Amino acid sequence: MRIEKRLLSRVEGTAELELIWGNGYVQDVKIKIPSSRGIERVLEGRPFMDALVITPRVCGICGHAHLMACVKALEDAIGNVKLTQKAKLVRDITLTVEMIQNHIKWFYLFVMPDFIRLGEKIEDFEPFKGKKWKKAINASSQVVKIIAIFGGQWPHSSYAVPGGITSNFTTSDISRALSIAESVAEFFLEDVVGMDEEGFRSFRSAGLWEELKGDIGLFVNLCIKHKLEKVGSSYGRLLTGGEVFPCITPGHFTGEKKLCSLNLSKIKEVGSPSYSSVKVVRYNGLPYETGPLSRQFLSNNPFIKKLYKAYKDSYMTRVMARLLEIWELLDAIREKLYGLYALIKEPSYYHPYQKVEKVSGEGLGMVEAARGTLIHRVHISKGIITKYHIITPSVWNLGPRCEKYLGVAEKAIIGLEHPLHAEMVLRSFDVCSVCTTH
Amino acid sequence: MNVLWLQRLSCCGNTHSLLNCETFNALLKEVNFLFHPSLSLESEEELLSDITKGNVKLDLLILEGAVKMDDQRIKELCYIAEYVIAVGSCAVYGNVPALKDGNVCGLQYRFKEKGGLLGEDFVSKGGLPVINLSGCPAHPEWIVGVIRSLSKGIKPALDSFGRPKEFYSSLTHWGCTRNEYFEWKIEPESLGSKKGCLFYNYGCRGPMTYSSCNTILWNGMNSKTRAGTPCFGCTEFDFPRVGLFETKQFAGLPAELPIGVSKRGYIMLSGVAKMFAPERLKSED
Repeated sequence: MRIEKRLLSRVEGTAELELIWGNGYVQDVKIKIPSSRGIERVLEGRPFMDALVITPRVCGICGHAHLMACVKALEDAIGNVKLTQKAKLVRDITLTVEMIQNHIKWFYLFVMPDFIRLGEKIEDFEPFKGKKWKKAINASSQVVKIIAIFGGQWPHSSYAVPGGITSNFTTSDISRALSIAESVAEFFLEDVVGMDEEGFRSFRSAGLWEELKGDIGLFVNLCIKHKLEKVGSSYGRLLTGGEVFPCITPGHFTGEKKLCSLNLSKIKEVGSPSYSSVKVVRYNGLPYETGPLSRQFLSNNPFIKKLYKAYKDSYMTRVMARLLEIWELLDAIREKLYGLYALIKEPSYYHPYQKVEKVSGEGLGMVEAARGTLIHRVHISKGIITKYHIITPSVWNLGPRCEKYLGVAEKAIIGLEHPLHAEMVLRSFDVCSVCTTH
Repeated sequence: MNVLWLQRLSCCGNTHSLLNCETFNALLKEVNFLFHPSLSLESEEELLSDITKGNVKLDLLILEGAVKMDDQRIKELCYIAEYVIAVGSCAVYGNVPALKDGNVCGLQYRFKEKGGLLGEDFVSKGGLPVINLSGCPAHPEWIVGVIRSLSKGIKPALDSFGRPKEFYSSLTHWGCTRNEYFEWKIEPESLGSKKGCLFYNYGCRGPMTYSSCNTILWNGMNSKTRAGTPCFGCTEFDFPRVGLFETKQFAGLPAELPIGVSKRGYIMLSGVAKMFAPERLKSED
């Protein structure tokens, strides 16, 4: 038995992998994530509206999802909050945009450069220099302009408030957003899958992932060359709690049965082992994976259905699910942006309470963030936050073992034969340690 | 110029702010990033040991995130680097991570107290204190602008908080599309409006905060105040204040007035402004 410690970069924050080797493969693994920033404690004792500013600061790459979970939790606590269709749609659009930004950066900045470390000569993906690397940064910085149009800025907007959104806009704002969405769709078609829209749509409806060209085609070839198409499977239990209308709905897959429902009372946190400061979260007592693989599998993406059938929840399937989700999200955004034209005259906001001192209650907000299901819970007494609690997607995926079961990512790494593969499988979950240690 | 970017207690928001910069790729032609934890392939430890041994020259150290007061590694590197930038309010003042932990601070400040990790008198080899780019996050153009100046041998002039005057000498409300409403003292009827100034009722810190957000805009598009969200004063040491969406009132006046405005002057001007405010500003649409 040999213990190897590896510090991971190219993730959000830092993470340490402790690999226990024996007989040439990983026998056991512990994922350690350092230092917490105490954000939940900062919120206690503050007026509840402050949470809209402070919770996005949990995470630089998915702060907008925290804003959305927060506003939902506050609205739930206030009770009977009326929202216009316009406000709902805009919130949905900006939340989805943040996911696209994340997925582009993650694939080009975190995933592909790993193959350089495996000895592949793919200079286009080299950090700071590669053509593709730079193009991806450009595309991700383009798409977040849509959040800026409606929400003022990205990162760290606080434009969603109980009762609606703070901004109002014109048709020319919608038009600018549509042009940006279109340019990112072009990037997806030209670079990510290497084909025109018609071709892509026809392959999509038949789930023919083997036909994809572009950078995803290159990725598939590299996976097969390095035997990564089958490794990195975890429990094959998948969960999605939030909704991205119309393409993603809540549900879970037990490994045998697909269920279009989720019972919130079955989500429980249990004690974590001494090596980890991260909590353990279980659904019905069992570990579940959340994120794009869960979303795309549960929403019957034809590509992911076929991939899952062939390779289960492997490294390759997980990466493909996240990358191909970009298209599903872009499609939804374009549809919603067109939908906004008819709603332009609706108010952006209704004031949802009489007196702030009279607001008391408990609330829960659940949304889909880039990495999966994000849950905020708040207790408010006379307008002041008395308790705030966050379960991030990374807690589901990267959280440690409980008494009975290994963590989801831990399970996926055991059995691998190469330390770089261990890092890659961990990265396939899109590690966000800053979220995990809020 | 060799640039090293390190992270401590941080949400990585400044990294993502920087990656939004449309000219970031152009900067990469001019400066050499030795290492960035979110982006590099190389190992951090090897590089840092090469730097401390003097094998690799460190021209600019950029730190993102608050630090623990006993972080010797960062301290050592700050003394090796020609220049040091603290990027974002966590690295500058300690910010959110320092609120509930007395052992956490910024590089040269803890909120408004001078000192921090490096002490009040710290000056890097190049002859400047820590260059503070406050903001939660810092605007990418501030980051890129200062890196490029330093690479051309131009030392930025700094204000009393060590921030480049170029970006932190005008108030956030300069360039805000709601300025006319500010002048005539017109509040919005509610949130969600294109009209009305958010200073009077919604806690906007625009007239009390130094930044160029409304002149250079975020993501090249917009700003919080333009989008109807109050400025929360995130470039200042007291961010995040308690009651971020509220304007504290005292005897019918905002408890805090715009920087440099006297109470007497404010009362006189606002009386006149309210009386003569043009009708076109008062109605929605």
